[in-house]
Amino acid sequence: MPGVEIPIEKWTGKIKEVKLGGGKRKEIVLGGENTLPFLSFEGSVPHPPTVAIEIQDKEPAGWSPILLSAWGDAVKDPATWAKKAAEYGAEAISLRLVSAHPEMGDTGADVAKKTVDKVLSAVDLPLIVIGPGVAEKDNAVLVAVSEAAKGQRIAIGNCEEKNYRTVAAVCISDGHAAIAKSPLDINLAKQLNILLTDIGVPADSVIMDLDTGALGYGLEYALSIRERVRLAALGGDAMVSMPVLSHAGAEAWRQKEAKASQGMPPGWGSVEERGIIWEELTALTVLNAGSNIVTMMHPKSVERIKATIHKLMGKK
Amino acid sequence: MSKFIATRAIRGAHAAIKMADDTLQDALKKMGPDTPVVFKDKIGGGTAFYLPTIWGLLGTKVQKLGELVPVMDYARGLLPPVPAENMWLPYLGETLDAGAATLYAFETIEAVRFAKGEQPEKKDGFEYNGPINDTQMRAWGIQLVDGRMPGFAALVGCAKSTEVAVKIVRELQSKGQLIFISSNRNGRNVADQLREAGVEMGYDTFIVPFGTDIVSAIYALGFATRAALSFGGVEPGDYRRILLYNKFRCFAFVLALGPITDMEYAAAAGAINYGFPAFADTVIPNILPTGITKFEHVVSMPFDDIPGKDDLEKAERLVQRCIELRGIKIKIAKVPIPVAFGPAFEGEVVRKADLACEFGGKGGMCFEWLRMKGLDEVEDGKVTVVGPDMDSFAVGSKNPLGIVVDVAGRKMQKDFEPVLERQIHHMMNGGEGISHQGQRDITWIRIHKNAVAKGLRLRHFGDILHTCLKNDFGAIVDKVQVTLYTQPDKVKELIEQARAVYKERNARMAGLIDEAVDTFYSCTLCQSFAPTHVCVINPERVGLCGAYSWLDCRAAYEIKPTGPNQPVPKGRVINEKNGEWEGVNKFVNEHSQKKIERFTIYSLMDAPMTTCGCCECVMAIIPEANGVMIVSRDDYGMTPCGMTFTTLMGTVGGGLQTPGMMGHGKTYVTSKKFIPVEGGIKRVVWLSKNLKEELAEELKAACEREGVPDLMDKVADGSQVTTVEQLLPWLEEKQHPALTMDPIIG
Repeated sequence: MPGVEIPIEKWTGKIKEVKLGGGKRKEIVLGGENTLPFLSFEGSVPHPPTVAIEIQDKEPAGWSPILLSAWGDAVKDPATWAKKAAEYGAEAISLRLVSAHPEMGDTGADVAKKTVDKVLSAVDLPLIVIGPGVAEKDNAVLVAVSEAAKGQRIAIGNCEEKNYRTVAAVCISDGHAAIAKSPLDINLAKQLNILLTDIGVPADSVIMDLDTGALGYGLEYALSIRERVRLAALGGDAMVSMPVLSHAGAEAWRQKEAKASQGMPPGWGSVEERGIIWEELTALTVLNAGSNIVTMMHPKSVERIKATIHKLMGKK
Repeated sequence: MSKFIATRAIRGAHAAIKMADDTLQDALKKMGPDTPVVFKDKIGGGTAFYLPTIWGLLGTKVQKLGELVPVMDYARGLLPPVPAENMWLPYLGETLDAGAATLYAFETIEAVRFAKGEQPEKKDGFEYNGPINDTQMRAWGIQLVDGRMPGFAALVGCAKSTEVAVKIVRELQSKGQLIFISSNRNGRNVADQLREAGVEMGYDTFIVPFGTDIVSAIYALGFATRAALSFGGVEPGDYRRILLYNKFRCFAFVLALGPITDMEYAAAAGAINYGFPAFADTVIPNILPTGITKFEHVVSMPFDDIPGKDDLEKAERLVQRCIELRGIKIKIAKVPIPVAFGPAFEGEVVRKADLACEFGGKGGMCFEWLRMKGLDEVEDGKVTVVGPDMDSFAVGSKNPLGIVVDVAGRKMQKDFEPVLERQIHHMMNGGEGISHQGQRDITWIRIHKNAVAKGLRLRHFGDILHTCLKNDFGAIVDKVQVTLYTQPDKVKELIEQARAVYKERNARMAGLIDEAVDTFYSCTLCQSFAPTHVCVINPERVGLCGAYSWLDCRAAYEIKPTGPNQPVPKGRVINEKNGEWEGVNKFVNEHSQKKIERFTIYSLMDAPMTTCGCCECVMAIIPEANGVMIVSRDDYGMTPCGMTFTTLMGTVGGGLQTPGMMGHGKTYVTSKKFIPVEGGIKRVVWLSKNLKEELAEELKAACEREGVPDLMDKVADGSQVTTVEQLLPWLEEKQHPALTMDPIIG
């Protein structure tokens, strides 16, 4: 662009770097940039966003056949699944402990611990573990998970405003990163970060999950909350400058557009492509708004998003 | 600082150091400096924290006997001389140093005992636990952090009787406290008493007997130290943070039962370093000023002087008092009433056909009065019903009722009374079959037949209020007691007293002016949809949503210090007239994503407050009329500025600063600080009709105050005027004062 001067914004803030893995395990670093996503001409973006693949500890129920057929029998065993995810290019594994949910099997701490042990020994990628989302059960299984993964520096979630102390405590004690989940609200996100750092979680061990809505299901909110948080962080507010995690895959594949079969309705086009595009677009949007790590589900969309990130980072 | 206690603690510390020195020297001679020292509990569970107190506080790893020598050298160096007869001001710091020295000495002694194979201790076939192992420390440590377990009670000595010992332990267990047992009186301690009573001890029952002498009490502090190292993210050697962590997060205390020895005083001084206060059931001097501990340092509660009909009741009160003095808040899981409770029942209506009985309402007499009392004047959880109860009232009858709520709390303030009292409405409505309306002396409560059939009685009102006030406002409320009166005479008598208080409160509110405070409060609750909006709430202007007054914000901040209501110090004044302060500008700038640089409290034209989307009213200038119009949210009609409320809202909302336009609460119109820069209420040329009616009384008073008693007759509303063309002749005809005031623009 001859003669056009690119306006450069001077930011005072910088996103904190949070490391996962390390030691014998591969290490990833989230965050570290001092500019908006991918604007490498303006500032430094030392670590490209990470693409994690989400697996769960239980054979999924109600999943799209497209998604299921991509993984085949691997979904029956989390360790096999994790290995296959690594083969498909996952840079981290996000393990959701579905079976601990009171209505999905109600498994306890011992099962969670075994699952995490198995996954940790199956792959050398950094691990994220998400509880079943029921406070009482989260606290029971994540405590065991934390202990099992001591020294491996995993990320554990979720910490929420009403229930964060237990997970925070074990993250401090075992040296893990805590995932702070807030419902699309910058003030609650900030408050939770304050609460977590107040009880002693180091600021470089907090990852924010600002909540995600899929394309057509609140993606615009997901975008604008990330944008706001990022602008505040770069503007110098250290209490929102933690890196951001987005569960793009799970949100996208939950929606009927991703799941409905061919011809239902006819105008919706190829069922093979639909869910993948849905996931891809959801992920791309949250990445452009400032996510440092996305968790995804279909190998194909993972491949595409990784390629897109590669290009956006200005690499050939 | 009590000289008595300082002297005895320092003397005890000297004795402890001597004992440790002798023990260590002897062991070094007999076993050599390379003998390993390892802490283990009776089941062989160990610790990765070496000698935890020494490692934590000093950063020294001790793994062999020889490594204890420098520790003892250090401890000896901490020892102050025993205060002489004529020395009258023993310094608190010296006593605390003596306490710390004692802890190092005790841990040294236990380490040597381990080296000699004398630990954990055995007595008459009973095996003491010894130090808590790491696995158990972790399990309990997590509970300390997440609040399931407040802390621990270190019981030192022996209770008055076996029954009292059991009662104390049971009461502590019911509060979720861990119980640690050490020391003895004439060879007996609480562990002996529990054994006699057949009470199981061990990790499973949350009762850990450490040993028979005071030296074993060090295991309690080793536990506390490890909790801070594990869960506080503290590095070994960072003693300050370890101590602070325990002060604020581990609600532990020492309870000395029976006469106290010098060495026990020394150990208690050591515990005070951690913020753990010491309580005694014997006569000793009190150390009441707070500082190192959150509240009092040392409190004597002679057992026989505790009120109570028997020893068991005294024991219960003793524990209750300890809990209070350490500042422990207990959450109540469920509202204990025979009907369901929850927000789902808030909108419930009790129809005439379903009515069991009602209180207040038209022609009835019902009031609620929440008052602050001293901590010793309120018995927590006590509910008293004076007069006949619901089951004796005729079906559908109207009855008098007085609800008097006494609350006490260390952080409670008189000004919070109305804030809490207003919550009664919300709390009572949570009960299934209870419909509550109004407040103060216009309360109206209706009860559903089904609720009475399920067993609902008046005392359950008390249970609801007790539970909810403690759970929701535990930060400021420590104790709640409720009395319900139904005798007509008594209600009549009390309602008069209550009215006098309401009047007093109104006067206090009227006297609470901006000039009287140096701090305003922010409200950023609406930033989720108006990201750059910051409400600054001053005593004389309610938040623009009408829901938050300055007092509400102050209470909200006490309750949730990280919440959306933060103190905004005024700072240096920039312009008194416009109400512009450096502190306010700075706060608003920082919290508006740097969008708003200046902010005045008193002007509509010069940098007015921003507006979110919740304002009760919007005001806008009408340049032609040299005045302002005010439209309220519940007015759907057209206004003279050519926009309805909704359209106006779209113009000013979303966190914008729009000179000449501003959102505000209804009652702001009657405030003395109503746009004073522009001339106050005299500028109002048009006002929504419903607002005129709703605030008739207050507006009348405000107009009189401003010297324009007939102003409201001159102010147009939507029933008379909806365009500027109509407005001007109206104002001229009525000779509205705005017409002759200075130009509003310019």
